[in-house]
Amino acid sequence: MRMKKILLIDDEENTLSSLARSLRSNGYDVITASSGETGLDAFERESPPIVLTDLSMPGLDGLAVLKRVKNSNPDAEVILITSHGDMDSAIDALRYGASDFVKKPVGEMDLKIALRRAEEKLLMREKLREYTLDLENMCYIAMEEVKRKSDFQDKLITSSNDGIVATDEKGIIVIFNPGAEAIFGVPRIEVARKASFTALFPPEIADVFTLMFKRGKHMGDVEWKEVVIRRGDNGDIPVRFSATLLYDGDDIIGSVGFFQDLSEIKRLEQELVKSERLAAIGQTVARLAHYIKNILTGLKGGTYIVNLGLDKNDIDKLRKGWVMVEKNVGRISSLVLDLLAYSKERKPEYRDCHPNDVVEDVCELLEGMAMENHIRVVRDFDPQIKEIAMDPDMVHRVLLNLVSNAVDACIFDLDSTKEHEVSVKTQLEEGNIIRFDVADNGCGMTEEVKNRIFTAFFSTKGGKGTGLGLLVVQKLVYEHDGSIDIRSEEGKGSTFIVRLPYKDAA
Amino acid sequence: MSKRVLTVDDDPDISIFVKTVLEENQYTPLVARNGEEGLAMARDEAPDLIILDVLMPKQSGIRMYRELRSNESLKKIPVIILSGIAKRTFLRSQEALTEFGDQPIPDPDVYLEKPVEPLELAETVKKLIGS
Repeated sequence: MRMKKILLIDDEENTLSSLARSLRSNGYDVITASSGETGLDAFERESPPIVLTDLSMPGLDGLAVLKRVKNSNPDAEVILITSHGDMDSAIDALRYGASDFVKKPVGEMDLKIALRRAEEKLLMREKLREYTLDLENMCYIAMEEVKRKSDFQDKLITSSNDGIVATDEKGIIVIFNPGAEAIFGVPRIEVARKASFTALFPPEIADVFTLMFKRGKHMGDVEWKEVVIRRGDNGDIPVRFSATLLYDGDDIIGSVGFFQDLSEIKRLEQELVKSERLAAIGQTVARLAHYIKNILTGLKGGTYIVNLGLDKNDIDKLRKGWVMVEKNVGRISSLVLDLLAYSKERKPEYRDCHPNDVVEDVCELLEGMAMENHIRVVRDFDPQIKEIAMDPDMVHRVLLNLVSNAVDACIFDLDSTKEHEVSVKTQLEEGNIIRFDVADNGCGMTEEVKNRIFTAFFSTKGGKGTGLGLLVVQKLVYEHDGSIDIRSEEGKGSTFIVRLPYKDAA
Repeated sequence: MSKRVLTVDDDPDISIFVKTVLEENQYTPLVARNGEEGLAMARDEAPDLIILDVLMPKQSGIRMYRELRSNESLKKIPVIILSGIAKRTFLRSQEALTEFGDQPIPDPDVYLEKPVEPLELAETVKKLIGS
């Protein structure tokens, strides 16, 4: 074991040497000084852990030495040697941090005890320092681990392609990742720890969060929902989002929303629809040519018969031929119109309207033709449908097509025992949807026909149809984000069900 | 007695046209609106000639043509196909290939493409069955 250093300060030569001797014999490495000043020099030089100093000395006395030593190294143990009657100073000394004092004449035993206490204190302090160091180390390791984990989560959130927006329990945004920056078009520093979600989210999303906070645990996770985020000059962006509350035990500590950018998917979807339509047109050019040739044949036939009538002065032939010419001119114009309607992209133009009035208009338009053929047109309009916003021109066109198809299906029906009827029904459905049913009890369709009704230039109406009508209907309905369903039974009739979403009237 | 010609087309204008051409040339026209009706008339009336549009709904034109060509008694009746598509397009069309399967598609006596001139139609009929 290394010898313990001790600094011994006493102005009395005899005490100094006898104590030094005694300490050395007890295994200490003793440094002696005969004055406070030289003692402090030695302390600075040798930095002994224990200082044994006489209290009353000329010049710097023991108390001054104690103060300076403690000042220089608070860990150093200072034992004071006191004379009889130094009691007050001794108490002062203890207050300044002396570890002990021994009385003059210094007894061997007293000194030993004082030294042992000082050493124990030193040891304890060292142990404490070690423990503290260990603790600091462990703390550091734990911190590193926490930091690593939080870095990992940070990176996870930062590198997510999805937008992640988290709020605290008051709804103030605390996490706003780059994905969210891209989607909302706002830099993080403008919102994080500043804005509430109500300021950032469009109302459709903000309402979901508000409701979630209000309902708390009963709400559960919010189902994925599609919304369009309007960003002014930065354009609109379709997203899918979901949200959930965050809990610590039973307490709400915040919320988090996940946003997926759907613009690429939507773009691809649109391209697909576009290319499918182009392909459909490509595939059916032959059918188109066939159809046009039929019209030309009709025109040729018409003029041939007109000429016959002129040559023979046969007014009947003249009339018959002229009807054919007129009819085929009509076919060309409806073909051109249908082709245009089908090939042109058209965005729905939402306007305030009364859907029941639009449908009534269609019924009135076709009622004449229906009645001529002894077909009843039955209306069943839902009175709950008020003024709303949708594309009335599109609704008109779709319904006109379906109702006239229904009338034709009755005309073509060979079953004369039936009382033919076309029923037109409107109905309000959940989720801002209006449902239109057009039903007839006419000839109905075979499975084969049903499978082909959305094929371009497929027609069962002989020369009467362009074979594009239902295709136009389907396209218009899809452009309006609606759907179309068909039920049909051969000989019994058909029902076409169109569902269209609407917006509230302005 | 004048010769009888069956015309099968789903487009009434074309039927009227063909019928008028036939009448003007002293034939007796018979008119059917689809393949099923046409086939029944072919069996019942045994016409001297059939003018057939092959592209009609329900594939009935092509089916009728296959029947006409595979039935022993109907085989003898000459057939003019009057179609809106070119002959090679017809022979390669999915509808024709589906109907005939592995069998070769037989050539009609005459293949006429719409729109047809009244004179050409009349002369073709005359060439096939005389006046």
